[in-house]
Amino acid sequence: MAWAGAELIRRMADGDADACGVFYDRYARLAYPLIARIVRNPADAADVLQEVFWEAWQTAATYDPARGSPEAWIVMRARTRAIDRLRAIRRRGELFVAPVDEAVVVAPADGGRDASERAADRTAVAGVLDRLPDAQREVIELAYFGGLTQTEIAERLEQPLGTVKTRMRLGLERLRELMKTAP
Amino acid sequence: MSHEPFESQAAAYALGALDGDERAQFEEHLARGCDACVAALRAFDETLADVARELPPTIPPAHVKATVMRRVAATPGRRLSSRRWRSLRWAIGTAAAVVGVSIFVAGFVASRYEARIGAMARETTAIRADLRAQEAALRDRLGVSRTVIALLRDPATRVITLRGPGPSPTTTARLLWHEREGGHLFIANLQPTPPGKAYELWTISAGQPRPAGVFTVDASGQASQPVAANPGPVDAWAVTLEPEGGVPAPTGPVVLASTK
Repeated sequence: MAWAGAELIRRMADGDADACGVFYDRYARLAYPLIARIVRNPADAADVLQEVFWEAWQTAATYDPARGSPEAWIVMRARTRAIDRLRAIRRRGELFVAPVDEAVVVAPADGGRDASERAADRTAVAGVLDRLPDAQREVIELAYFGGLTQTEIAERLEQPLGTVKTRMRLGLERLRELMKTAP
Repeated sequence: MSHEPFESQAAAYALGALDGDERAQFEEHLARGCDACVAALRAFDETLADVARELPPTIPPAHVKATVMRRVAATPGRRLSSRRWRSLRWAIGTAAAVVGVSIFVAGFVASRYEARIGAMARETTAIRADLRAQEAALRDRLGVSRTVIALLRDPATRVITLRGPGPSPTTTARLLWHEREGGHLFIANLQPTPPGKAYELWTISAGQPRPAGVFTVDASGQASQPVAANPGPVDAWAVTLEPEGGVPAPTGPVVLASTK
């Protein structure tokens, strides 16, 4: 029932708290895995989830069903919020100054852990993204889950900006086709 | 401006990946009423919602719903009073959307920003608090650096290495030690202590252990700990795992010991 979600949001706009509860039950399952995938830390993820649904309640009146499905509405909010949190976490990381201890004590090699983390990511995102060519999937993941802009992605991958742009467009267009034909 | 350069930007915009200038230009283009771009954006937003749906399920923590509902319950009424106005606005909004695409576009753009503004305000406060904490931390570190430099300039300072005998073979610990001035202990890769426990450093002189400080390690397994001068010459050093407040004589397992 495609209208049901939109109807819930309309009732939320009218101040119906029960509708908000039903809306949460239905859409937290959709928003949370995405939030958790982006911010990683469960405490941060729970925090973002709470913000997203609190804001959905507050701004329900601005939802326009003609503009997109409730799923797209909540997912965009969840993603925007999660990326905001991720950037805040990163900024804190950049501001942090390496402790003097590292200069005195030999720091442990970090490469191994990083690689296994990446491997875990790989299995975690199995799904439709894995049906994209690696180069396209990579740029989409860096943007969608990593919150990087095209320029940042180009720098990170040491690829020309034009290449990144093309891969991103082709990748998302391909995803759109895959989703259309999905059962 | 021609449509061509924008067509390819809808995907990046949907992914939030356009850089500042390009994003502003694209939004301006949308605002001028480009049906093709709006349609593309809408389709991409739905696609990305589908991508989210395909992620492995993760159960949201139960307390989140309780918190949201508590906040929701605390703000009823105010909306009910404006019900009529809201329906009116709904009707006007719908009519306007039929007339022009601009409301559509404004909504697209606004929904991407409204959440962000609130978030940025909160973030600014958080960053300010953070900076203060970091300033304090930096002052601490500067103090440590000065101590270390002073110690290193003194030819009487020795560098003593401590190693883990059993459970922590990868731990590295070094003690800068000056018989008269005391010293500073640096540790890396030591397991964080279980709750209620702490590490305790011991000086051993003529077979007698003497407490030389209680410490814990941070989440990354590091510790940096000043050590007071010992009344007499020290033969050896050891670190044991003890109850949180420390004990007068070692009771727990030896975690680190000085090598010759």
